[in-house]
Amino acid sequence: MTAVFKREFLSYFRSPVGYVALALFSFLSGFQFINMISKGYISISSEIVSLSSFFIIIVPIITMGLLSEDKRRGTEILFYTTPVNLFDVVFGKFLAAFALFAIMFVNVIIHMIITLCCKGKVDAGVVGATLVFFFVAALYISIGLFASSITDSQIVSAIISFVILLVISLLTTISQFAQSGVASFLGATFCKFDPAKAQSAGEKVAAALRWFNPLDKTQDFRYGIFSVFPLVFCLSFALVFIYLTFRKLDKKRWSQK
Amino acid sequence: MIEIKDLHKSYGDKHAVRGISFKVEKGEVLGFLGPNGAGKSTTMNIISGYLSMTSGSVIINGHDILDEPEEAKKCIGYLPELPPLYLDMTVLEYLTFVCDLKKVPKDQRKVQLAKILSMVKITDVADRLIGNLSKGYKQRVGIAQALVGDPEILILDEPTVGLDPNQILEIRKLISKLAKTKTIIISSHILSEIQAMCDRVVIINHGKVAAIDTITDLSARLTGNSKLLLCFKGAIKDVINSLRTIPGVSSISERVTNESGIHEIEIIVDYSAGGDVRANIFYNMAKNGWPILEFRSLDPTLEEVFLSITSA
Repeated sequence: MTAVFKREFLSYFRSPVGYVALALFSFLSGFQFINMISKGYISISSEIVSLSSFFIIIVPIITMGLLSEDKRRGTEILFYTTPVNLFDVVFGKFLAAFALFAIMFVNVIIHMIITLCCKGKVDAGVVGATLVFFFVAALYISIGLFASSITDSQIVSAIISFVILLVISLLTTISQFAQSGVASFLGATFCKFDPAKAQSAGEKVAAALRWFNPLDKTQDFRYGIFSVFPLVFCLSFALVFIYLTFRKLDKKRWSQK
Repeated sequence: MIEIKDLHKSYGDKHAVRGISFKVEKGEVLGFLGPNGAGKSTTMNIISGYLSMTSGSVIINGHDILDEPEEAKKCIGYLPELPPLYLDMTVLEYLTFVCDLKKVPKDQRKVQLAKILSMVKITDVADRLIGNLSKGYKQRVGIAQALVGDPEILILDEPTVGLDPNQILEIRKLISKLAKTKTIIISSHILSEIQAMCDRVVIINHGKVAAIDTITDLSARLTGNSKLLLCFKGAIKDVINSLRTIPGVSSISERVTNESGIHEIEIIVDYSAGGDVRANIFYNMAKNGWPILEFRSLDPTLEEVFLSITSA
């Protein structure tokens, strides 16, 4: 695992990808920080939260080549023909992308230090936002990793993970559409004489969709209100996608087709 | 050492490998021949554990490749058709990474890598990026990668592709050196190479084993009797009539006749009739004063064997 982690992490800095992602993140966070300074009010926690909304662009850039490049260049043969465990390969690659996020976060730490020097405070809200940052990043990276395992083209992989992440971040809007759509469909067909029932069915569908939104669940963290469930949610879904990726690679050894 | 039983592999509708079985004994060098698309690379990929088979089994050193993959893979060094190289790493970084994957103990690494680097002669490019190396050097790094971990079995898919004649000779020497301690399977398009390096040959065609034998036995099997070529100066009719009287010569045919009176004839000899006839042919020609300009055996080369088997 450490071998794959080391190789993959260093390869971010052997190609422009790592630098581009770091530069993009530094620009976004710096821009926000300057913007807040010019308004005379600094909130590190809201800076972190709004940075998380750029994950849908940064994560696909970072994860697109993780496994698809190995497939295209034929280097995946190394993982299949040496006694290395495939799960270690997948987890090593996941950790490499996660470590890059940790490095990006150094920007925010610098901003925190500046705030502290200006007699500001780092409160529970900042800790909460930081937790959200890393847990949501883990979830998104695992999705990107999975997208990278199903194709041998970096572009296709980036597009797939971008679309999945876009859908996740738009879940609130999508759930509103689903609510009115389901309610009016049921009202016109199965529940013609019971509009209240149709309405409640629509609400349930919307609630079910919203349940999958990690950003919705972690909204209160930035105010210093923590709960364990959203973190467990992110972590378990991240593990599910890492496991799916592992199965996708392992399939090649077993599949009879 | 390696036992392959009734191997099948389908890609969708395409049945690429249809029931290949053979055994490789310890210390043997086995040549793997076949036209393009015959299923050579697929079979090698399956033996090395990269691809799964549709049915059949591969047993390496007593370990089934599906049931005990780690044990089986420890015994194998594999050089695929396209060497699995990370172009953004230096040669040394890359080989160290392969050491990590193959779980070579840290204290043995330096010695082993130095040995491999000098063996395949890439010591002087050890600190260069693989992406900047020429094709021949990349191929050698690929061979080096297969040697990491000192595996007992080497599977080399076209190891001399893209090398210049000098390098080919060097790699051939290297393989002969390795053959003393290791079991090797080599596939190649270059038949002379297989002839020079291998003990036994497996020829596959359309996903099936077409022939499996030693090279000399293969040639003998193809022609029941032996052919000789004789080039001389003299009256052709007299020569043919005189040679026909020698016991063991079953037929003679004319091949080429030169304007300056030099003839080439083909003599088919039946060795079972009575010993070697070559000495008798020589004395016969000498007695009659017909100078021999060329006299050699026309036994089929591996190339002819290959063509006749794969086009049948």
